[in-house]
Amino acid sequence: MKIPSLLPGKRATAPAHAATLAVDDLSVHYGGVCAVRSIDFSIAPGESVGIIGANGAGKTSTLKALMGLVPRSGGRITLGERDLGKVPARDMVRHGIGYVPEGRHVFPGLPVEKNLLLGAYARRWDDETRATLAEVHELFPVLGEMGTRLAGALSGGQQQMLAIGRALMARPRILLLDEPSMGLSPKLVSGILDVLLRLREEGLSLLLVEQNAKLTFGATSHCLVMENGEVAMTGSAQELSRDERVRRIYLGL
Amino acid sequence: MQETLQTLVGGLSLGAVYALVAMGFSLVYRTMGLVNFAHADIAMIGAYAASTFYLTSKMPFVVAMVVAIVVTGAIGLVIERVLRPLENKDFDLMLIGTIGFGIVLQAVAILIWGTTGRAVPSPVRSAPLDVFGVRVRTYDLLVMAVAAFAVIGLAWFLARTKRGAAMQAVAMDHEAATAVGINVGRSNALAFSIGAGLAALAGGLVGPMLYVDASLGGALGIKGFAAAMLGGFGSIPGAVVGGLAIGVLDSYAAGHFQGYSVLVTFLVFTAAIMIRPMGVFGERTVSRA
Repeated sequence: MKIPSLLPGKRATAPAHAATLAVDDLSVHYGGVCAVRSIDFSIAPGESVGIIGANGAGKTSTLKALMGLVPRSGGRITLGERDLGKVPARDMVRHGIGYVPEGRHVFPGLPVEKNLLLGAYARRWDDETRATLAEVHELFPVLGEMGTRLAGALSGGQQQMLAIGRALMARPRILLLDEPSMGLSPKLVSGILDVLLRLREEGLSLLLVEQNAKLTFGATSHCLVMENGEVAMTGSAQELSRDERVRRIYLGL
Repeated sequence: MQETLQTLVGGLSLGAVYALVAMGFSLVYRTMGLVNFAHADIAMIGAYAASTFYLTSKMPFVVAMVVAIVVTGAIGLVIERVLRPLENKDFDLMLIGTIGFGIVLQAVAILIWGTTGRAVPSPVRSAPLDVFGVRVRTYDLLVMAVAAFAVIGLAWFLARTKRGAAMQAVAMDHEAATAVGINVGRSNALAFSIGAGLAALAGGLVGPMLYVDASLGGALGIKGFAAAMLGGFGSIPGAVVGGLAIGVLDSYAAGHFQGYSVLVTFLVFTAAIMIRPMGVFGERTVSRA
């Protein structure tokens, strides 16, 4: 099957202008409570990084702080030479950062197609946008078939596809995904994994935050394990999936 | 029969004005989840501004209306900008803030235009038309036509334009809207100023039908608010249906119960809301887990 090209550059290669996203010493506090404490990681062009951890480990706060959706209490975020620390959340997409929120957060009262088009809000709605829409339809045929249906009436799995498709409409260079497997059946999770692998193959950088360690190890090359707001372990997906402690706690083996 | 039709025509034209007020309430509520209690007083300022530009500055009625809409649209922008820091922080205070702005606008109106009020002559001087024995004032027809144009324009804007879609997206999910690159503050400001413009349109149109004074906002606002509730708060088609229903009901009550007309109107409204609390169109969004 032909893999649709959703990237600004060539297929299977990172875009020429891509740069490394680096997170240094990032911290998040809610009032006096520390949710994320001084974490560091980076995502090179075309690299896929996973963050696993239990509920309350600070995974979502990390992602939201990276996007600027929650205030950062410290740290530095750069994309190549550019400092993203002062970039408002609404402009992150204009720097090539796409975001798939936890719980999908589709626009329930708008049709599927309008949801997808809004994903390209930061771009001009023109023929190129139509071409991207066709590529998203190719990736998720069900979204093309249900274009006029209200997003709120879709099933959980369809909404997840819509949330990913909406983020891809902006033609991001880095895609941040927050628990895309949440509430989905194993079959649907396997479908999501296939899609992530395709995107990875195309050279899209991924940051996947998940409780589902199996999905994360399958979709990413490098992983962080977060516990109590800190990075407890880090390593390649292969190494971590063989680690005794990780296997016991996160894979239930 | 003729009397009934006569009442119906009068009710529909007043109802068209209530529909405009209700649309403004619904648009801001739909976008920000906020009931703008200053909305009625913005309509009153719109009525005063339009009548001043029309009578004092001798502008053509249409130009006076457009200027009044621009002035109130700017007032809407100011209100939204002042209240913006409270968004997502203290919703109750934001709500109270709109009440405060309403009081300020009433005081400003009294300061500028005094307490006596003014009657605005109809800009359409031609004799009433005779349609199958029913006398229809040409101004009533104008009001209905302008309101219909505004309804179609707003529906087109929301359904067909990028900004309209973004405005609805903001109403549904701030965070997701931000992530796709929508400037939530600017979208809310636009909703507020369009709402204020609709209020001014209603106020300007109602000037030649009712007496313009500082209490006009209260009279228009309570009926417009009831219209929005009756149609389903937040629904644009609901605002139109609710506005026309309240207008016709009001007109019948005025014809048959004179001094008790408002009481009768609101008794019927209360009964309708008790039967269908979410209004005619209610909340049509279906959400699945």
